[in-house]
Amino acid sequence: MKSNHPAVALPPTMQVFERGWLSSNNVLFLDDDRTATLVDTGYVSHREQTLALVQSQLSGRRLTRILNTHLHSDHCGGNAFLQHATGARLAIPPGLTDAVERWDEDLLTFRATGQECDRFRHDDVLAPGTNWRLGERDWKVLSAPGHDPHSIMLWNPADQILISADALWQHGFGGIFPEIEGESGFAEQAAMLELIARLAPRLVIPGHGAPFTDVDAALGRAHQRLAALSADPARNARQVAKALIKFYLLDVRSLPLGTLIRHLSGARYFNVINERYFRVPFEQLIERSVLELVAVGAAECHDGVVANRDG
Amino acid sequence: MSVSSSTSSTLVPVPSPCISVCTMDPRSALCTGCLRTIDEIAGWSRYSDADKQAVWLRIAERRARG
Repeated sequence: MKSNHPAVALPPTMQVFERGWLSSNNVLFLDDDRTATLVDTGYVSHREQTLALVQSQLSGRRLTRILNTHLHSDHCGGNAFLQHATGARLAIPPGLTDAVERWDEDLLTFRATGQECDRFRHDDVLAPGTNWRLGERDWKVLSAPGHDPHSIMLWNPADQILISADALWQHGFGGIFPEIEGESGFAEQAAMLELIARLAPRLVIPGHGAPFTDVDAALGRAHQRLAALSADPARNARQVAKALIKFYLLDVRSLPLGTLIRHLSGARYFNVINERYFRVPFEQLIERSVLELVAVGAAECHDGVVANRDG
Repeated sequence: MSVSSSTSSTLVPVPSPCISVCTMDPRSALCTGCLRTIDEIAGWSRYSDADKQAVWLRIAERRARG
């Protein structure tokens, strides 16, 4: 068998670490002979490997800057560890800077999702419209609400490369979190897809999954998915609940169903989803979500123990 | 998986071996999840499909060796 997928043509000053779903992808820019910048740092439990990946590619450079596309725990979980190890300055999108300073874990969504994140501090703000010199090229910060109201994307017009975070993946996009709380998110996500279509990137580096060049096809799939979710907001809520459970299973691998239910009962998003959309006993929401994950082969459940299933 | 004689680029791309475990074993210097070296994980996005298939074969050998 022969297949001819070429290696994606990345500029030599840019390295993409394709991670899984628990950690977002990381993009390393070699800025000059002495310094480098990292975009997104993955989940907290993967922080040692994230640092090892960065160090393996520095060739004597120092990591001097870390940028976050948004402050979900799978994108910023390695911040504190990498800041401590390298002394890099951290730039975050505007919107949650006060919450970061106070370390308000409710506003920062870590507690609401049942996830963890080491406390970090920020130095700079990634203001939409500003240009950042990364890997000897200019990148523009674009506001990208939808999946998360405070997310940004990074756009390089010269090479037509988009770092899309969770606004566009090759097969879909991140769940629309604002909508589960009754705030607008579908309209913003639609505007984001329109914006990406206008930019017409040659290459998209998504927050999860492989970099891709068939952007029109990805946009087509995303439009379809968004139409289905907008028509049935409960479906978006169900998807978010399942994604958060799968995320937790990827981290802990297996645990008794009762323990899972107890852990998630402290996570505000599950309670909000249940109150707004389902109004069933809390354990029923979790059990139903687990069964749906089992049905698609993303989890196993035997003798009261829930386990992650790969593939 | 069906074998195609086509040489077009429409075949399914080689998937990443990552299973979201992402912890290095200090003795083997391999990821305990996907059994890749740090260089194999870092370099994945630049590899051709042939390179990626070679990594998958090395993973299979490592798994067989235990």
